[in-house]
Amino acid sequence: MTSAPLLFVDGGWTYLVSIIVVSMTVSVTAICLSTLFGIPVALAIGFTDFPGKRVVTAVINTGMGFPSVVVGLLVLMVLSNSGPLGSLDLAFTPEAMIASQFVLATPVLMSVSLSAIEGVNEPVRDAAYAMGGTRVDVALVVIKEARYGIVTAILAGFGRAISEVGSILIVGGNIVFSDGTSYTRTLTTAITVEARQGRYEVGLVLGVVLVALVLAVNALGSWIRSKGRGRGTP
Amino acid sequence: MTIQRRRLLRVGLACSVLGVAGCVSTGSLGSAPKKDESDGDEDADGDGDDGDEAIGDSELILATTTSTYDTGLLEVINSEFESRYDVRVKTISKGTGASIRTARDGDADVILVHARSAEDAFLREGYGVNRRDVMYNDFVVVGPPADPAGIGDATTATGANTATGAFAAIAEAESTFVSRGDDSGTNSRELSIWEAAGIGPSGTWYREIGKGMGDTLVHADQTGAYTIADRGTFLSMADEIDLEILVQGPIEGGPALLKNSYGIILVNPGRHADVNYQAAMAYVGFLTSPAGQSIIENYTTNGSHLFYPNAISAEPNFTQYVPGDYDREESGRMTPDRVASTAASMVLGDPDGVSTQRVNPDATGVDER
Amino acid sequence: MTLTATGVSRVFDDTPILKDVSLTVEPGEVLTIVGPSGTGKTTLLRTLACFEPPDAGTIHWHDTDCWGASKADRLAVRRRMSMVFQEPSLFNASVRRNVTYGVRVRRQWRERARHFVRDLTGGSSTPESVRRALETVGLEDAADRNARSLSGGEAQRVAFARAVAVDPAVMFLDEPTSNLDPRNTAVIEAAIDRACDRGVGVLVATHDLHQAERVSDRVGFLFDGELVELTDPATFFDDPDDPRTARFVHGELVYAEGDDDLARAARR
Repeated sequence: MTSAPLLFVDGGWTYLVSIIVVSMTVSVTAICLSTLFGIPVALAIGFTDFPGKRVVTAVINTGMGFPSVVVGLLVLMVLSNSGPLGSLDLAFTPEAMIASQFVLATPVLMSVSLSAIEGVNEPVRDAAYAMGGTRVDVALVVIKEARYGIVTAILAGFGRAISEVGSILIVGGNIVFSDGTSYTRTLTTAITVEARQGRYEVGLVLGVVLVALVLAVNALGSWIRSKGRGRGTP
Repeated sequence: MTIQRRRLLRVGLACSVLGVAGCVSTGSLGSAPKKDESDGDEDADGDGDDGDEAIGDSELILATTTSTYDTGLLEVINSEFESRYDVRVKTISKGTGASIRTARDGDADVILVHARSAEDAFLREGYGVNRRDVMYNDFVVVGPPADPAGIGDATTATGANTATGAFAAIAEAESTFVSRGDDSGTNSRELSIWEAAGIGPSGTWYREIGKGMGDTLVHADQTGAYTIADRGTFLSMADEIDLEILVQGPIEGGPALLKNSYGIILVNPGRHADVNYQAAMAYVGFLTSPAGQSIIENYTTNGSHLFYPNAISAEPNFTQYVPGDYDREESGRMTPDRVASTAASMVLGDPDGVSTQRVNPDATGVDER
Repeated sequence: MTLTATGVSRVFDDTPILKDVSLTVEPGEVLTIVGPSGTGKTTLLRTLACFEPPDAGTIHWHDTDCWGASKADRLAVRRRMSMVFQEPSLFNASVRRNVTYGVRVRRQWRERARHFVRDLTGGSSTPESVRRALETVGLEDAADRNARSLSGGEAQRVAFARAVAVDPAVMFLDEPTSNLDPRNTAVIEAAIDRACDRGVGVLVATHDLHQAERVSDRVGFLFDGELVELTDPATFFDDPDDPRTARFVHGELVYAEGDDDLARAARR
């Protein structure tokens, strides 16, 4: 018997379900945090002209291609017991994985939503302001006008998060409890275990599940987008 | 109406996502309760039955090597341990080097590794305490059944039953050799064999892939190369690969150079106050107890025994507790002779007092037992 | 309640765009500002609407100094006014949602949340002012259509409805019918009339002299940032005080001073 509970035998189902749950929870939480942080920042950057705006935009775009394993190392070093945030006890936990995916997904999300936001032309913003809107009101209008692009941004960020392997392997530790339930093992890191042990077919099955999940999320996003494009919100 | 339903759906989606996010952050998803908060507290009256000192309902982080993890032995041990002590074991498998680093950083409570020189350094630097032998097996040199370098041929002088001879033959024939190259226990043994054979392997036939044991065996299998593996991992993967054992380890009569001993070491709570020391002691206690050792003894895969327990012995065995080259003289304790010589050197102005010089060279990591 | 500008000046990049402009917008009147393109009409409207502070001079709403008051007070003043631009600039949403925008943002957050929930469960109704506004521009049947599906003229009428639905004290219209055909222009002008009857003070900026003659109670000539003349339409068109006004009324001075390229092209 090797360490990964075999799928399709007893206990295999719990194992599979638990790693799907961990995968989805970690990535969905990370992307939610990304959205809450990234959209307002993108709005702030998009609306204002400040010295160094081009530098900031360039940094964000660079962040999109940032090597994920480096992020993983940095996050681990920060969260480690010997690191600055060691007292939070977050090394090798799902929370650490969320942090790592947050760092990786946010630049993607910010970059795409920034171009969507900048695509909302000034007359519309002016009109929102002229009708007595505060800056918050205008921001909400911009978000609604750019919603197609923003949904795309969220999907793109989610894609980056859920297919992440290297960094979450480092910060999460790929831990499965002895009863076969996953603590920090996701679909992607489970595939590395299967590959490591030469069980490629099982790895492929997990890969198919992962792709199906990503497709489902993207289908949901497309549906949301099409509703937005059509008759508009009532 | 469809418009309203759509919006309802959207709101519902948002709420469920937030709800799940809330679940994760409160830690109710697949996690045990946080490490016992009172682990760092002193047991003031020392009687050990203070409610705060209980190890139950806590977590233990075990850092171990991929070769131990991939055999599946730890799952059996851990579930037995968990049912006895109500401690959730989180096992992280990496190379020996990474496990030791994790322990040094205080991110693990206990390590189970098999590289004596690295373990010795870990103890010597004060990061580890209470080392115990746990079990041993051996390494085997494996390769393609065709054996292009002829290392399995018992009739040749450089053939079977000499690890160094086999390596020399491989280097001579420049047959592909896959090295883990990952600062693991297996890797450090491999490097010491090269050193013992007087060879510095280089060239395109020698490939360092920086991966775990399973990956390395798969890689060697795919490219028809030689490699060195611990018998346990090799046997547990025997079904999936075509490699054969060409040089046996001491369990099957091979050279002592291929003996592979596993040790367990706790992280020093004096260095990291919040490690789960008590649960770690319970774990070591279980592993080295008759119950734990018998689990190890009886663990088989594909019909073969993978590990041989050696924690329990009627005879004293001090070398398991201290670094391999531990010398009382080096312990820094001031013996009467050293007091005298130190005083002398201070008076005479000799900065290099003899007592501070190391007499023994470092051990090479070869297990001499 | 009147809107008063006193000695307002604005400078962009060392170029003066408005020079010491003073005027008052009375309730229930239509005041039209005419002048060549690029002469500062839009800037004047934006300054009067308290979007941007003047570099000199003051804007008073009744006795509140817009830029001397707190941000909250200024917001309250802004919310007594609304604006229609040359481009409709509607949101990508239904007509009803567009027109209700101004009403929505003026509600308190708690009330907004309540309405939001009611919207979801399909229980909310269109506010009375919104319904009336759509009626004024003749688009009460188009309430559920997406704003982007409207023609240019219909869209501009919705923009007008959006501005009127908040029951403003002052409305600013910046070249509102420049892009419209005569029919839609007539609808807008009738709507302006009706708004006036209800006591709204309307400030229109336009280069269409005929329109100015049709709708205004007073006409002002803004040339090169200077309010050259401000008087009733009869005087303005038949017997203006200032020679520049006369020249403009006769079709000259259609471009701003310093607009050399256009001048050269016109002369050829």
